[in-house]
Amino acid sequence: MTTPDNSGDVRLSGISKTYDNGFTAVQPLDLTVPQGSFFALLGASGCGKTTTLRMIAGLEDPTTGAVHLGDQEVTHLPPYKRPVNTVFQSYALFPHLDIFENVAFGLRRRGIKSVKKQVEDMLDLVQLGEQARKKPHQLSGGQQQRVAVARALINHPKVLLLDEPLGALDLKLRRQMQLELKRIQTEVGITFVHVTHDQEEAMTMADTVAVMNAGRVEQLGSPTDLYENPDTTFVANFLGTSNLIEAEVDTKNGDDIVLKAGGGKLVLPEARCSAPTKAGGKVLVGIRPEKISLTHADDAGDIPEGRNRLTGKIADASFIGVSTQYVIDSPVCDELAVYVQNVERDGRLVPGADVVLHWSPAHTFGLDAAQSLLAGTVGSAGTEEEAAA
Amino acid sequence: MPFVNWLKRRLVVIAGLLTLGYLLLPNVIVTVFSFNKPKGRFNYEWQQFSLDAWKQPCGVADMCGSLSISLQIAIWATIGATVLGTMIAFALVRYRFRARGAINSLIFLPMAMPEVVMAASLLTLFLNMGAQLGFMTILIAHIMFCLSFVVTAVKARVMSMDPRLEEAARDLYAGPVQTFLRVTLPIAAPGIAAGALLSFALSFDDFIITNFNAGSTVTFPMFVWGSAQRGTPVQINVIGTAMFLVAVLITLSSMVISNRRNKQKA
Repeated sequence: MTTPDNSGDVRLSGISKTYDNGFTAVQPLDLTVPQGSFFALLGASGCGKTTTLRMIAGLEDPTTGAVHLGDQEVTHLPPYKRPVNTVFQSYALFPHLDIFENVAFGLRRRGIKSVKKQVEDMLDLVQLGEQARKKPHQLSGGQQQRVAVARALINHPKVLLLDEPLGALDLKLRRQMQLELKRIQTEVGITFVHVTHDQEEAMTMADTVAVMNAGRVEQLGSPTDLYENPDTTFVANFLGTSNLIEAEVDTKNGDDIVLKAGGGKLVLPEARCSAPTKAGGKVLVGIRPEKISLTHADDAGDIPEGRNRLTGKIADASFIGVSTQYVIDSPVCDELAVYVQNVERDGRLVPGADVVLHWSPAHTFGLDAAQSLLAGTVGSAGTEEEAAA
Repeated sequence: MPFVNWLKRRLVVIAGLLTLGYLLLPNVIVTVFSFNKPKGRFNYEWQQFSLDAWKQPCGVADMCGSLSISLQIAIWATIGATVLGTMIAFALVRYRFRARGAINSLIFLPMAMPEVVMAASLLTLFLNMGAQLGFMTILIAHIMFCLSFVVTAVKARVMSMDPRLEEAARDLYAGPVQTFLRVTLPIAAPGIAAGALLSFALSFDDFIITNFNAGSTVTFPMFVWGSAQRGTPVQINVIGTAMFLVAVLITLSSMVISNRRNKQKA
């Protein structure tokens, strides 16, 4: 290979898909997945992530744009001529073939005669050596999933595409398979493109996550980056939970913006604000629930200076083991979520208690107030529209 | 009441055995009477045991000729109906085209229509076209009425097939031909086989439609019908028994093969 460094790159340029019925699943999209990375396409159902994956696989013809694998353009190559393999949702194992023949399928189609050694090695890698002569329906969900991975990986594709591969597994097995897949990816070093609607799954496994919404990539970045610095309310709400508070820009103080919310003031580092900040303009102030500390109103004097503060009343508290999740009614926002680690529990923090919420300004992020506060939350207008499509 | 309790516990088994007996009794009678040595021309009363008919199965004039014609027609009708029916079934399930709904219901018509009506209208059609009645007209008629059974059987199978399986095959370097031969066809095979077996059975023993459109050709059911007017040779029972045995053997061997295969794989 002359260019071993980028032969596993996936480059999508201006790629889009409009179906015959006029529905546009993917808006023109530019995306580069670097060789050897674990890349996740994350979004609710109907956001275009699976269509994007199918265009890379060749199972769907893009309406516009081009697909490159490394330096080779594959836009119009049929799937069986692309050095790409897919792990399908619900696995799509061939029911009439046993596990051995399922895994050997790709090798045999490429005219490789002696497949025994390779298939056995691959089955050992996914710990299914004993099951070689069973039919797919005789295996458990987790085993079938591993067969699907083995069947794809044995061909040494340049890119492995995974279409919600863990969707049918129960929670515990899913966790286990997430780590397993991550281990395999590190071991074989192949580019993985993983489609999922499970934000936790995407964050656990992927180096880079692209959050998709309504056929567009909303934001692209490392899991930490997306979580800490969401660009849009959709990303803020879809990845974990965010408290979004409407505020008005008051003044600028060095690198910080001072905002008015309700009666109080909040400080936001300018670098963490993706919205235009004109004095008098509106901004959405975002803060993650686990970054907020709760102090009973009686002890408000003990809170150090320089922290953002809001007052409120506990509306609800639910104990979930490692933490307690509070819902706080505040003058600036109806339902603020606060997660407090159960290290030292203050017995006074029960529903009805007056509290002060405070957090370090550095954890605050700012978003454009022109967007829907609810984008990306369950049952919001945005996701419903996609589900209907 | 120990007897009532005993009966209660075995009611399902007893009912099952009785039903089975009801289904198989005619075959037993046919088999028993194939060893009869009747007095006179009719084989309706048991006289004495004899192997005469089994020693000379073709001892009756024209009978084996008609049997051979019936078998040829059944084989060709099965091939024709299975190939056409499978293609129709795939088209109906896989493609969206105009009048698809109408064709879906029209396909059922030959199954629902009284055979006499079909027989008569086919005859009218053949006569108006000036076709020479005989082997070909019988074959055309048989393919026609077998088609709907094949379409129904194959369609059910294709509909339950996950389209992702074919995508997976294409993803794993199988071109269109390989995908069809290695994945689509093997998975649809049970439906196709069921359709083919049905076709063979339906074609082999069809009387009404055949009788209308046969001209001077005589198939085995027509021969049996004709001879029943003048006397029933024992050889008819021999052929009937032989057909039954072949069917039982085919069923048994396919069961044994699939059992053994499953055991090997497990």
